[in-house]
Amino acid sequence: MPSIRVVNFSKYFGKVKAVDNVSFEVEDGEFVALLGPSGCGKTTTLLTLAGIYKPTAGEIYFGDQLVNDVPPKYRNIGMVFQNYALYPHMSVFENIAFPLRAKKLSKEEITKKVKTVAKKLMIDQLLDRKPMQISGGQQQRVALARALVKEPEILLFDEPLSNLDAKLRMLMRAEIKKLQSDLGITSVYVTHDQAEAMTMASRIAVFSMGKLVQYGTPDEIYDHPKNMFVAAFVGNPPMNFLKDFSVVSEGNSVYLQRGTSKLRLPDSRKGSLPEVVPEKVVVGVRPEDFRIERKEVDNGIPGTVYVLEPLGRDVIVNVRVENHEDEITKIFAEPGETFKPNERVYIVPNLEKVHLFDPETEETIL
Amino acid sequence: MSKSSSSYRLTFFQRNSQKIAQAVIITILVLITLPIIVGYVWLIVRSFSEDIVHGFIPTKLTLKNWRFLWQEMKGYPNIWQTTLNTFLLALGVMAIEIAITSMGGYVLSRYDFPGRSAMLKFILVLHAFPAISLMVAIFYVLWNIGLLDKLWGIILLKASLEIPWGSWIMKGFYDGIPWELEWAGLVDGYGRMKVWAKIMLPLVKPGMAVTAIFAFLSGWSEFIFVYTFIFSQKTWTLSRYVMGIIGDYRFADYGLLAAVGLFYVIPSIIFFFFVSKYMIKLTIGGVKG
Repeated sequence: MPSIRVVNFSKYFGKVKAVDNVSFEVEDGEFVALLGPSGCGKTTTLLTLAGIYKPTAGEIYFGDQLVNDVPPKYRNIGMVFQNYALYPHMSVFENIAFPLRAKKLSKEEITKKVKTVAKKLMIDQLLDRKPMQISGGQQQRVALARALVKEPEILLFDEPLSNLDAKLRMLMRAEIKKLQSDLGITSVYVTHDQAEAMTMASRIAVFSMGKLVQYGTPDEIYDHPKNMFVAAFVGNPPMNFLKDFSVVSEGNSVYLQRGTSKLRLPDSRKGSLPEVVPEKVVVGVRPEDFRIERKEVDNGIPGTVYVLEPLGRDVIVNVRVENHEDEITKIFAEPGETFKPNERVYIVPNLEKVHLFDPETEETIL
Repeated sequence: MSKSSSSYRLTFFQRNSQKIAQAVIITILVLITLPIIVGYVWLIVRSFSEDIVHGFIPTKLTLKNWRFLWQEMKGYPNIWQTTLNTFLLALGVMAIEIAITSMGGYVLSRYDFPGRSAMLKFILVLHAFPAISLMVAIFYVLWNIGLLDKLWGIILLKASLEIPWGSWIMKGFYDGIPWELEWAGLVDGYGRMKVWAKIMLPLVKPGMAVTAIFAFLSGWSEFIFVYTFIFSQKTWTLSRYVMGIIGDYRFADYGLLAAVGLFYVIPSIIFFFFVSKYMIKLTIGGVKG
């Protein structure tokens, strides 16, 4: 299986820069997710890997080989599309056999291979049906079978799960991940669902407006987002942002201050602060990094409980921050804790884990 | 309870308002359609009767008017030769148009070549442009390439006039096929031509059927070009034959005219019967720009 190397890749459609100078590498057998909102260039990148689009600039290598001008049929890739793209006029069997017919395999060999892959994906009882006669989940499996049957060196997924219902999506998520790790096929997976990217991929490439913002393992992306976009996009509920804090030094300590709220930055972290800090910063706190107290404590920010969102296992408490009515923070409450709407509380961020952002550039400061 | 139920009490007209509206609409539609229906009824009745009185009442049933089917008619070409010519014309136009529009529609739909949008607009304009005004020029062209008085000339002429609009219709059907299907075919190991033949073409079959119907009917019913560019009776088509019956130098035989007219519309009716289900799809696939 080859690795994939994308070097300074750009793709323009007329004047629109769909992808702008993107570089990344996918290791042999690795599962990489391209994550971003719609229109961020992730699908364009995938289609270029497939050979359907040609790069406007830059190079794409499979292994050591430059493949910029290699048409799709010579690339030995398997691809799964969002709408499955099953051929409606062919039976399930013919759909799966289609890539093998291009290779001019013998009839027996085709039948054998189709049956094997169909069995593996548990669709062997559907082979005579037409795509319109089977359910969405089954269509998904057929599309997967068609991509796998030719034993590709690279697998490309274009939001393959977004047309499935939530329950099936969770199921297929695990199944695709297992399949990929069993087969060890180098895979690139496009999605706008951060949960999919986090759970499936060994590395995530976060795209925004045609640019690659951050490339790293799910933990790196989650714990050290490069800017506010990544911080807000990854995680559910998303990171809370508290605006207009100033960084103040008093004696040996560094504080984040806004109005009467004063948060003391732990000594372990203040050393990582850059020399020059903007006048105002945004403080980012993940929902699980808040504690809720009923009485005033150190590092507490006053607010009132706005609404509760019980999820069964835990509760998301929405707290409206005092004097900043537009800031409604979402916080995972400790199990067993109960709050009532309009109750006055103090929210205490875990300052070991807070993030600081520059409000102008949106880049991470700390 | 009794108070609220009383408010549901309706008058006869309120209760039956939908039925009444329907009855009114049907009455109006029947009245509008009546002249056409009467025309066809007359055609059928007249073709099987000796003579007709009060416009509608046959005097005596006969098959005499259909004699053109089994005996040579003086001053007319053989009806079966004429029918064959008509089929050749209709099927020829259909075959050429299908072959070209199924490819042209694909290119119009999928390729962004220079002048594409201008071409699409021009096709619309061309469609509104009456071909009759080209008569003299067409005569000159046909004469120069030696296709005057030849069925081939009419077939090529008809096809060339129908192809732009047919391509536009086919484009609509191709537009309805998602790009992903084509991409999937490319990834599955085929070139663009193979993908077109194996995936796209089977999926635009309804469009091809619609185009085929229009092409066949336009060839079948073609009159003016046949009348103008065909001189020998052996190359006549049915429309010209009908014209011959009411021609200038004989008394019009209305019984014969009705029988030939009926004979002429039978294939169209059969054709329509088989393909009307595809016609309905035209509004779904065809208007998608």
